[in-house]
Amino acid sequence: MEYILHILIFTCFYILLSQSLNIAAGYTGLISLAHAGFYGIGAYTTAILSTKWGLSFWLNLPLAMLVSGAIALLISLIILRTVEDYFIICTLGIQVVIFSIMNNWTGMTNGPLGIPGIPGIRFLGMALDTRIKFLALLLFFVLIVWGILKNVSRSGFGNTLKAIGEDEIYVQSIGKNVRQYRVISFTIGAILAAIPGGLYAHYVSYIDPASFTVSESIFILSIVIIGGLESLAGSCLSSVFLVMLPEGLRFLGMSNNTAAGVRQIIYGAILVLIMLKGNKRIKG
Amino acid sequence: MTQVVLNIFISASLILLIANSFSILYTTVKFFHLAHGAVITAGAYFVFYFSTRLSIPFLTAVPLAILSGALLGVLCEVFVYRQMRKKRRPALACLIASLGLYVVFQNCISLYFGSDAKVFRFGPVEAGHKVLGAHITTTQLITIEVSVLLFFMTGLFLRHTSAGRSIRAIACDQELGEIYGINSNKIIIIVFAIGSAMAATAGILAAIDTNMTPAFGFDLLLYGVVAMVVGGVGSTWSIVAGALLVSASRNFAGYYIDTKWMDAVTYVVLILFLIWKPLGFSGHRLKKINL
Repeated sequence: MEYILHILIFTCFYILLSQSLNIAAGYTGLISLAHAGFYGIGAYTTAILSTKWGLSFWLNLPLAMLVSGAIALLISLIILRTVEDYFIICTLGIQVVIFSIMNNWTGMTNGPLGIPGIPGIRFLGMALDTRIKFLALLLFFVLIVWGILKNVSRSGFGNTLKAIGEDEIYVQSIGKNVRQYRVISFTIGAILAAIPGGLYAHYVSYIDPASFTVSESIFILSIVIIGGLESLAGSCLSSVFLVMLPEGLRFLGMSNNTAAGVRQIIYGAILVLIMLKGNKRIKG
Repeated sequence: MTQVVLNIFISASLILLIANSFSILYTTVKFFHLAHGAVITAGAYFVFYFSTRLSIPFLTAVPLAILSGALLGVLCEVFVYRQMRKKRRPALACLIASLGLYVVFQNCISLYFGSDAKVFRFGPVEAGHKVLGAHITTTQLITIEVSVLLFFMTGLFLRHTSAGRSIRAIACDQELGEIYGINSNKIIIIVFAIGSAMAATAGILAAIDTNMTPAFGFDLLLYGVVAMVVGGVGSTWSIVAGALLVSASRNFAGYYIDTKWMDAVTYVVLILFLIWKPLGFSGHRLKKINL
């Protein structure tokens, strides 16, 4: 039972991550490979605040979102000067820089050893010490993020974002500031990515840079593309599928490492097949 | 200090080899073939496989591995990219497909060989040759020679052979080239074979010099890509400038700050460069629009 709850909790983390990436990659067409970086910034901010200053989760989370958003704003102002494939290469660079800071700034992040002893979450004086309680909290956040994104996608702002994804020259021609919309959408994605980051840090109580690598970014992007860009429900389903996949493979008698490798081979192959078949949301 | 300067040239020659192999592909097909990173890795692992598992002599294993690397690149082209080109898929879709291919190849390698670092062993570690008080190993000397040789050979091949001229024609305008009777599919296969063979060579040299892990090719590829972008796509000599700049910034970062910051500095250079000169050293325009 505990094992199933653990898997469900991880599914929820990836649902949150893929949906936060969906607003940038799906709606606005900003395919980013830096998402695990912002996830990591959220986790590290929370971890540092709670272990060094002893702040509670409810204060950490908004602060983590603020930090991640501020960094994303700064980065997007710089890298949104480039377009399409150059943009992806730049986000890849950003991902490596963020990882390198987590891995090497020993004074702040404790380097490759990671930060241990992150306390659990307390809610109204009650400790969320069991998995089931934590899952309830997580589902609450999933619903909130879903609600926000659903509203955004129905709003005029969301329609402008989608229009930029479809035809940016047209949007430019009707007098919208395309660059500003892109910066906002990239930043919102990063702010929302800090939520699973903070929750993850408090859940596992120990974080190290190995959870926030380039491969993790590729994985999150694969979830979004496999689920269908711009589709929130699709991202949910593909998170469930890809997180459960290695568990299923383990039942077939594969070892932990093999199952993880086979999962990556499967989603890499699905990615190639989807691109071969053609996805009209990806333009060049 | 001589050692730092020498190191800059050693790593610049490796980066140049990779940037050269990548840029011949990029200028022809116009998308980032990130699975090239897996070809670099595969080159090294093929040598490892042929020489340790099949006990083929090392000097025969190397050309075999280079051929296998070239074959891997050609397979990507025939089974994935050509089909995508037929459907006129955009460059971005090809990039994502290449990312998928990379993930598949990398995990196949790490499933088969394990994800730990592997080294080629040829007896005791040698101190290397002394040049003006700095050390250089035989492998590093070979790397510099091979890289410079291949750089000039690519240049000569592209300018003075009919296949090379066809490659440049297709790179310039595929449709017009086809109207003049060039078989673009055949030409692109040649490009993939040449580029992948050079990438496999680079992977083998890098693996002999240090060691190899299933992910090491991707890091190397990214240095090459940064060198190509910083240099500016489309100009032969600017790749040399790009490789030297990337290598110099990495080595000076290692010398003056700390070796652990070398990777971060590489990408900071890339990003600063794109702000300052979005078109690279050479200033060639390569993007259709820049809103």
